Amino acid sequence: MSEKKNNQVSRRTFLNYTLTGVGGFMGAAMVAPMVGMAVDPLLQADGEGDFVYVMDEDEITEEPQRKTFTIDQEDGWYESQAERVAWIFRDGNGDILALSPICTHLGCIVDWGVQDDHPDQFYCPCHDGRYDKDGVNIPGTPPTEPLHVYEQRVDDGRLYLGRANPR
Amino acid sequence: MKWMYQDVQAFQNAKEYIDTAVIPLVPYTFKGEVDIKKFAFQSEVMNIFMSQIEKQLKGRVFLLPSYYYIKTDSLEPHYQQLNETVDHLHNHQFKHVLLFSFDKQWRKFMKDLHGELVWLPAMKEQDLNQVETQQVIQSHIGDIEDLIKEQWKS
Ligand code: FES
Repeated sequence: MSEKKNNQVSRRTFLNYTLTGVGGFMGAAMVAPMVGMAVDPLLQADGEGDFVYVMDEDEITEEPQRKTFTIDQEDGWYESQAERVAWIFRDGNGDILALSPICTHLGCIVDWGVQDDHPDQFYCPCHDGRYDKDGVNIPGTPPTEPLHVYEQRVDDGRLYLGRANPR
Repeated sequence: MKWMYQDVQAFQNAKEYIDTAVIPLVPYTFKGEVDIKKFAFQSEVMNIFMSQIEKQLKGRVFLLPSYYYIKTDSLEPHYQQLNETVDHLHNHQFKHVLLFSFDKQWRKFMKDLHGELVWLPAMKEQDLNQVETQQVIQSHIGDIEDLIKEQWKS
């Protein structure tokens, strides 16, 4: 096979990746670094506007429950499925609260009630960051803002979650 | 943190918090019908382990590019090179340097390695999309996480 032919094939493959914007580690790896800056805001849009069913409203307790759900994620070059985690419970006012487990300090995953000394708090194992039940950071621990809150919608007794936002 | 533009910028602003470096040691070969599949599978599993660990412990763990080597009878030439890498990391504020591998041979160098070797028993080749496999992998990831937290306490 001539060199020229090879060239054509690879260029077509390349174009294919970039034009369709789906799949392809190769495509993503080659293109993403060049446009990293431009794509940046897109990378952070977690399937904006999409709400996903997570649990039934009557299953929600005052004790936070850990729920996982899957969203379609589009990062500019290809779509994929990404798993999200939420801690869901009813707060003191009886309102539903769905918190993101991502520590606002540097991004580790927090857990609920794992520390004997602080059974009613969220705990981050990385630098001992702590949050109260409502997700508000405890002063004197590294996090500087509360855990992010998922947008929520209740429809016909079913809880749907959207994206997580800072408060 | 990963070896990526955005992450290294975050790293630079929070160096004192990110004290743990993780390097997967990954063999490969094109010799032998069996090994080629075995190592490819192990490499895939290692990728899953490492990316999940990085996700869970992003704020304190820096996942470095894998150390790839052709599988041979002796790791002699590699361990010296690896020690240089580990020394470099130690010299740049990483207190814990953890080396993960499925390759038994590294265990012979346990004492000579400047980093902490975490040898993981290899998994049997199976379909990674199966629910049972994913559960097994998930539980391994939990174990690895605990192990890293132990290391932090020491
Ligand atoms: S990342 Fe959670 S306390 Fe630092």
